[in-house]
Amino acid sequence: MNDCLNAEMRDRLPDLLHERLEASARAAVMAHVDGCADCRDELELLRVARGTLIKATPRVDLNFIVEALPKAPSRARALSVPRRRVWTDWRVAAAAVLLIAGGSSYSLLGRHGGVVVRDTLVAQVSPPVTESATPEVQQAESARTAEAPTPRPEVVAEGPSEVSETSGLGTSRLGDLNEKQLKALLTEIDQLSPSPITEPDPVTLRVDTKGTTSPEGL
Amino acid sequence: MTDAPQGSGPGGGGGRGGDDQRDLELIAQWKAGDQRAASALVERHAAALARFAVASGERNEVDELVQDTFVRAFNSLDGFRGDSSFRTWLFTIERRLLLDRRRADKRRRDRLEIQEDDAATEYDALDSVVADETERRMRDAVTRLSPTQREVFTLRVGEGLSYKEIADAVGTTEGAARVHYHNAMRAVKEFLDE
Ligand SMILES: [Zn+2]
Repeated sequence: MNDCLNAEMRDRLPDLLHERLEASARAAVMAHVDGCADCRDELELLRVARGTLIKATPRVDLNFIVEALPKAPSRARALSVPRRRVWTDWRVAAAAVLLIAGGSSYSLLGRHGGVVVRDTLVAQVSPPVTESATPEVQQAESARTAEAPTPRPEVVAEGPSEVSETSGLGTSRLGDLNEKQLKALLTEIDQLSPSPITEPDPVTLRVDTKGTTSPEGL
Repeated sequence: MTDAPQGSGPGGGGGRGGDDQRDLELIAQWKAGDQRAASALVERHAAALARFAVASGERNEVDELVQDTFVRAFNSLDGFRGDSSFRTWLFTIERRLLLDRRRADKRRRDRLEIQEDDAATEYDALDSVVADETERRMRDAVTRLSPTQREVFTLRVGEGLSYKEIADAVGTTEGAARVHYHNAMRAVKEFLDE
């Protein structure tokens, strides 16, 4: 078997066999092969060699390989992200519950002027939030307890922003704000309220670990 | 999923423009969390890796070698820049693993080097399925090549890699890969003309 003297064409025969040539190059090589017996012989030799190599390939168990592969990276990350979202959702939910409870309490206090009604509402909404935000719930409850004698619509409206802040900030800020509000409201009451205050001392509540409250002395 | 096809897989190892693009797409899919993309990549390249393992003189545990190659590749996919084709990159990893194995075997057996005759025997042992007379003679001709010639010949003829890709896979220069190929082709022709 002779070697073709056109080294360039001969060098491209494996590429022709594997269809790795651009259209123009392929046409040129094909034209050469058509007129070159040496290249036709070598191309046939290459086909036989390729077939022999393929037949000699040992069988490979693909499952055996695939089972050992690492898991896709994003999937592992995706599993952890929802957990953080869930935790965030619970905190948002807890804050929302506090807003509802707080707002309802102020409204009801405004209507009934009593503490027992508010305690009932808090007991109903507390369980879902005690696991994730117990300290905040307790602090917020204490803060609202201090506001009990001031059942004014303005306080209810301001409630959400204050409670929302407690979910991400220190609870001492809430206490400071409530005192200011309390002072401002007490000043307003002193100036505007025509009726005497029936209970001059502020009501204090005892908060247990389950999140339920009861007014002291009741 | 069954055993790897004994053919050269999609694209036959050549015409790799579209195949290379498909590999990149599958890699991106795997990175995005699609584990099936990994299976597809294994299906596309396992047979070629097994073939190269045989050409490189691996007789036993070809499955393990191919598996180790894929595991190492997927664990370091961030390091794959696409400068070479994915298949060429796999060949590079496989050859490195093979050399590591041989070094370990050498230490274990207290041998100084792997003799070419040993490699030829290893290659010969895997070709019992070749029944055709022409193919049997071709098998014998390939068996007599030096290990480097056999690697280069297999990658060029069996997989259709360019000299540049072969050079990347076996750690040599493009010019050296061309010389090895033509020396191998001459040796095969001479054997078949005897
Ligand atoms: Zn020619």
